[in-house]
Amino acid sequence: MEEPPGDRRPLPPDVRERHAAGELVRGYAFLAPVSAFVAVFVIVPVIGTFAGSLMQDVTFLPKRFLGPGNYRAMLSDPGFWQALRFTCLFTLVSVPLELFLGLAFALLLAHPSRARGLLRACVLIPWAIPAAVSGRIFQLIYNYHYGLANYLAGLIGLSDRPVSWLGSPVGAFAALVTADAWKTTPFVAIILLAGLSGIPGDLYLQAEIDRAGVLRRFTRITLPLLSPVIVVALLFRTIDALRVFDLVFVLTGGGPGGSTNSLSLYGYHYFLSGDFGYGSAVSVALFLIAFGLSVLYVRAGRFARELA
Amino acid sequence: MRLVLSDVGKTFLSLRGPVRAVRDVTLAIGEGELFVLLGPSGCGKSTVLNLAAGLVKPTSGEIRLGGRVVASRDGKVFVPPKERNVAMVFQSYALYPHLTVFENIAFPLRVAGEKKGDIGHAVAQAGKTLGISDILQARPAELSGGQRQRVAIARAIVRKPALFLLDEPLSNLDAGLRASTRGELKRLQRELGVTTLYVTHDQTEAMTLGDRIALLRDGAVVQTGTPRDLYERPETPFAASFIGSTPMNLLKIPVLEEGGNAVLCLGETRLILPPGQAARVRRLGTAGILFGIRPEHVRIARGTADRPVTGTVTSVEDLGRESLLQVRMGEMSLSVLTGDKTVREGETVVLDIPPEEAHFFAEGNGP
Amino acid sequence: MSGEGQVRLLYRAGVLGMAVFALGPILYMALTAASVRPDFLSPGTGFEFTAAHFLSVLRTTSLHFPDYLRNSLVVSGISAALCVGIASPAAYAITRLPLPGRMLFLLCILAVSMFPPVSMVSYLFRFMGTLGLINTYAALVLPYTAWILPLSLWILTSYFAQVPADLDRAAVVDGCTRLAALRKVVLPVAAPGIFSTALLAFIFAFNEFLFALMLTTDHAARTVPVGIALFEGLHGEIPWGVVMAASVLTTVPVVLLTLVFQRRIIQGLTRGAVKG
Repeated sequence: MEEPPGDRRPLPPDVRERHAAGELVRGYAFLAPVSAFVAVFVIVPVIGTFAGSLMQDVTFLPKRFLGPGNYRAMLSDPGFWQALRFTCLFTLVSVPLELFLGLAFALLLAHPSRARGLLRACVLIPWAIPAAVSGRIFQLIYNYHYGLANYLAGLIGLSDRPVSWLGSPVGAFAALVTADAWKTTPFVAIILLAGLSGIPGDLYLQAEIDRAGVLRRFTRITLPLLSPVIVVALLFRTIDALRVFDLVFVLTGGGPGGSTNSLSLYGYHYFLSGDFGYGSAVSVALFLIAFGLSVLYVRAGRFARELA
Repeated sequence: MRLVLSDVGKTFLSLRGPVRAVRDVTLAIGEGELFVLLGPSGCGKSTVLNLAAGLVKPTSGEIRLGGRVVASRDGKVFVPPKERNVAMVFQSYALYPHLTVFENIAFPLRVAGEKKGDIGHAVAQAGKTLGISDILQARPAELSGGQRQRVAIARAIVRKPALFLLDEPLSNLDAGLRASTRGELKRLQRELGVTTLYVTHDQTEAMTLGDRIALLRDGAVVQTGTPRDLYERPETPFAASFIGSTPMNLLKIPVLEEGGNAVLCLGETRLILPPGQAARVRRLGTAGILFGIRPEHVRIARGTADRPVTGTVTSVEDLGRESLLQVRMGEMSLSVLTGDKTVREGETVVLDIPPEEAHFFAEGNGP
Repeated sequence: MSGEGQVRLLYRAGVLGMAVFALGPILYMALTAASVRPDFLSPGTGFEFTAAHFLSVLRTTSLHFPDYLRNSLVVSGISAALCVGIASPAAYAITRLPLPGRMLFLLCILAVSMFPPVSMVSYLFRFMGTLGLINTYAALVLPYTAWILPLSLWILTSYFAQVPADLDRAAVVDGCTRLAALRKVVLPVAAPGIFSTALLAFIFAFNEFLFALMLTTDHAARTVPVGIALFEGLHGEIPWGVVMAASVLTTVPVVLLTLVFQRRIIQGLTRGAVKG
């Protein structure tokens, strides 16, 4: 009787060595430059920030080990809690909004049309321009005296007096959310569009034969089959929204009264003022939140896939 | 050039442990021979081809090409494909999509650094041989499957290789084209007189093309021989069932010694085996023997016969010129290939089983 | 009206809304940049064209806008080239060589791209300071490359995986060494994918803000996004016309890239996201 395929008897040691040596070393050498770059300029800095968060590290003061001192200070710092609250609120509001708009855009873009390519390019433009520029544009749009927002509000008679958007916490928050939605909805739309095009057309045909309505087709076919892609988009967007910096820096500068300080911006202010230890502690907090969430998402995504 | 593989083995490492893809394969392929490696998928035949090409290093044994050792585990010799002057046609054709047909065919010559004029001449010649002179400026994406295949062959023959390797070259063609290309390949190989190793899982291809065939299973050679050898004298039940357009019937039937004769007990009927067969059965030991008979050798006798065996037809499959019947006899079922088109399902038929066409295998070698 | 007609009307309205949403702010930016007064919407005023803002952005030496733009283009260009140059061999190895643990490597590298930049920037600030690189191109190019590498590698890997391994084998049998097979067959066939990746890397680098803000100090290395963010008028009032003109000029290169290479960008983006 012959042995089954995939015989797994142990190999003579010299055969194993032949595989392990030479070729493998050469193979891993291809990965070395990537690893080196990422290690030196990403991993080491992150570790450095972790280490720094345990130090008293303020310009002109002697550097010394502090242990959890910075974290203790952070937890009793209302500014930190305000930044944390804003960051979470910003993420919780902007990401679902972008997902909703992005899905609508994706459905519109998926529709066969002669101008499809042009339409896609147009939608993509806000994504491609720097956030600093979009921050400036929305700063002007929400300008108290002559911004587009107040002009439109006046036009449709929403209010007879101009709204001080950037002067009020709620207005500033709204400005940031709309600016972020404008800039990143295209990204969500493009990813969901790719997911849509991966759904076999036969399914819709079958649904039509089964006389399923538009809404039913959407909830029974589109949404479930799109869910893995939605999870990916959600992950990317959440991580990105949590670390928001440039938009806030330009559009509101964290104001009014620190009400729109994001964690990134809050930490940055401490770096700027020379308190590297405390700034690092804030950065580590943000890092842990982002990391924890991405682990959670990956888990949830796998869970959803197993259910499907 | 002669290609000789001696005790060649290849073990791959996977995360789940080592996998022995090829074990102790010994083959000698003569100058100008068309040698077929036949076997089911995953039997290691493509790995043998890659070993011959130099795409894979053997983990044991030795490979010689034209008397020169090109790979040896013990002698620590390995000649890379570049220096072996072998050509290969892939199942996927592996045409370079960014190059035109001309550039594809010229590729091996350009890599070898030949002169421009020579290259143009050689490509034109190869193009003419394969009847693709009119598409030399096209890109692979614009070609039909048959044309791509011709380009792949042209690229392989253009530099007069010492060894020609073909990995399931016909399996991506549709049935009609496959048959005609098969004949053409054979003619081309004869014309060029180049030693050829041909891998396929299709026994018809192997039978019609091969000068000789090696049948592989689980990385080892099961049997080597001419197509006739393999058809007429399969050494194992596996070979018996793999070769032939309809698999051989293999039945567990007792063989008795009666009055100096070996006798086969087919139900109530007893078939006395001719002396040659009887000797073979005795060598195997009469206990636990597999009896084999090809469906095309069983005859429907209708009325009477010298050695009548009766059975009920349980299914009729019309294959055109012939019909494939399943005939039930007690516990056993037999496939029968017959030109008789009048047989109907449910009918009782008398079978004539000629003992001189019978094959016998030790039962331990079960299919 | 028939159901189909309603759907068509709804679709048209949706497309119109989408286009206004995407392009409205861009148009507003361009109009403000080309308007004599920024308050052209206010009652009693109106739009009056001028090129003065554009000219002032390009000519006022104290604004350094051309410097910023050049810095941005150079830094992004080098970063994109480095990214692709470093990630391509790695993507080749991951898709071609039987390296145990390569998928784990890929996943770990991808996880790195999730790190918030603020958790690296203070260390990098000191590190670059020690090396004396603050306010040089190197201070930006090196972190940019490292930061964009994971996504580049991810996208490139999926492109390389699409080049059939039989092509490498054919090339090797046809007389190439492994390296020659990479150069003559794999790279040319994967070229469109490599180009898409480079394009994305360029856009990411061009738009980066925090590193540029912290690791540069003036026009010697400062990039356009930071330059625009830090534009201040002389008297506290933001010179909107000038800021918007600078924004338009900044937007032009990326918008052109987007319009011309829309398909490639979308392909690259979705490779990175959907294939995971």
